[in-house]
Amino acid sequence: MSDVRPLVRAERLAVGYGAAPVLSDVSFALPPGERIGVLGPNGGGKTTLFRALLGELRPLAGTLDLAARCGTVPQTERSRLDYPVSALDVALMGAIAGRPWWKHPGRRERAAARDALARVGLAELADRSFGELSGGQRQRVLVARALVQDARIVLLDEPFTGLDAVSIRRLEDLLDELAGEGRGVLIATHDVEQARAWDRVLCLNRRQIAFGPPAETLSLDVLAATYGGSIVTLSGVAGEGERLALLPPHHHDHEH
Amino acid sequence: MFEAFDYPFVQRALVEVLVLSVAAGTLGTWIVVRGLAFYAHGVAAAAFPGLVLADGLGFAASLGAFGVALLFALTVGRLAAREREGHDSLTALVLVAALAIGVVLASDVFESGANVETLLFGSLLSVDAADVRLAVLVAVLALLATRTLGPRWLAVGFDPGAARGLGARSSLPDLALLVLIALAAVSTLSAVGALLSTALLVVPAATVRMVTRRMLPWQLGTTVLAAATGTAGLWLSFETNAPPGATIAVIAGGLFALVALGRGAIAMYTRTRGVPA
Repeated sequence: MSDVRPLVRAERLAVGYGAAPVLSDVSFALPPGERIGVLGPNGGGKTTLFRALLGELRPLAGTLDLAARCGTVPQTERSRLDYPVSALDVALMGAIAGRPWWKHPGRRERAAARDALARVGLAELADRSFGELSGGQRQRVLVARALVQDARIVLLDEPFTGLDAVSIRRLEDLLDELAGEGRGVLIATHDVEQARAWDRVLCLNRRQIAFGPPAETLSLDVLAATYGGSIVTLSGVAGEGERLALLPPHHHDHEH
Repeated sequence: MFEAFDYPFVQRALVEVLVLSVAAGTLGTWIVVRGLAFYAHGVAAAAFPGLVLADGLGFAASLGAFGVALLFALTVGRLAAREREGHDSLTALVLVAALAIGVVLASDVFESGANVETLLFGSLLSVDAADVRLAVLVAVLALLATRTLGPRWLAVGFDPGAARGLGARSSLPDLALLVLIALAAVSTLSAVGALLSTALLVVPAATVRMVTRRMLPWQLGTTVLAAATGTAGLWLSFETNAPPGATIAVIAGGLFALVALGRGAIAMYTRTRGVPA
């Protein structure tokens, strides 16, 4: 694996919005074909890291090297549901870089966009308004946009939030396929259990807490440092074995 | 009943308003979808002191107006296109300053010259061939830019964060949009004036937005609505001797209100009956 050039390499990276970094000491590498789960509390720096990867923020310190441009699957803001585009229009946005600026999307680009929508299982809904689709379908349209773009790095920001079990399953399968094609996939998530199925986890809490394969990395100490709270072990819930539950910091301060 | 359109000056006004409708139909939709309505209003108002200066110093009015509008586009407008915090209060500030400077210039500095009311509210019935030529130029540029840069404008507005990865983050297309809007605002000055420019540039697009879901029908619908509004306003102002700019603005605003109310009523009806639209 070490002889393959990573798609993303960060060395002691610090990023932020002003002079003071909101995220620092980030060092990790994303090789082709791997899925990295990015874990951390709200405000822990997941979105900031993604904005740096997308080129919206410049490193304040350290280095961030990308071997390719990123495709992104952002969370859908409410205001975007009203945007006057179809699923096909959104997928076609991935074809912008591939043609001269004065050209309108042609037959080839439309065919590529329809193919990408078919790959994510949305061939029949290509002409539906983006805002009319379900949350899971919208995420898959955005994955199709990344496919049209042929992004070798795909970022997904909390893509599973608000999805039902079937949609979660479909999206997980799609991410496995993307990695299987040699793309690097970074997924910001709240779900520690879900991240265990991926190749590596990157734990952030304003700085990098840990990075590595989930089985070795996700210790109680790491989780506690990542989420800044206490961890309790729930044993034997309906034969599932042990599960971890996370208590918020200072939970004993709440009024009862 | 329609003998108004027998007069050559009314015919020229009709041509002007129809050509402007093409510019408004294409650019207006981009203004609304990119959240630049307040910028469009600001850039038109900012052109006002330019008009007064040109009038007082004796060079072409549209040149003076476009000079100031361009300055506004390159400063405040760029903040608006990047959706930076605080651009709206800055727009408001510059808008007020521009109006105040224009009025002071017109009343104290160039006493004999500019007629403030005409500059602020336009005089559609006295447009000349140069005004029509400018409108044609803007309409052609708007159509060309929509055809070529439209996909980028759409992609950046949909998802600014992804734009760089998509290869659409170059600021040139956005700058072209801002300058085009400035040019369009200047071209509407002679017809509806600095303060009513948005009656053509924004209101028809905002009205048709409520009943369309795609760019192309939205753009076509806006062009038709702007043309109909302009024609009706022109005719009505001739019949009632009311100022045409204000008449067009009132009709445009009235139609917007009607469509909004109608949509609200339908939404309420379907909600109470529990049937999907």
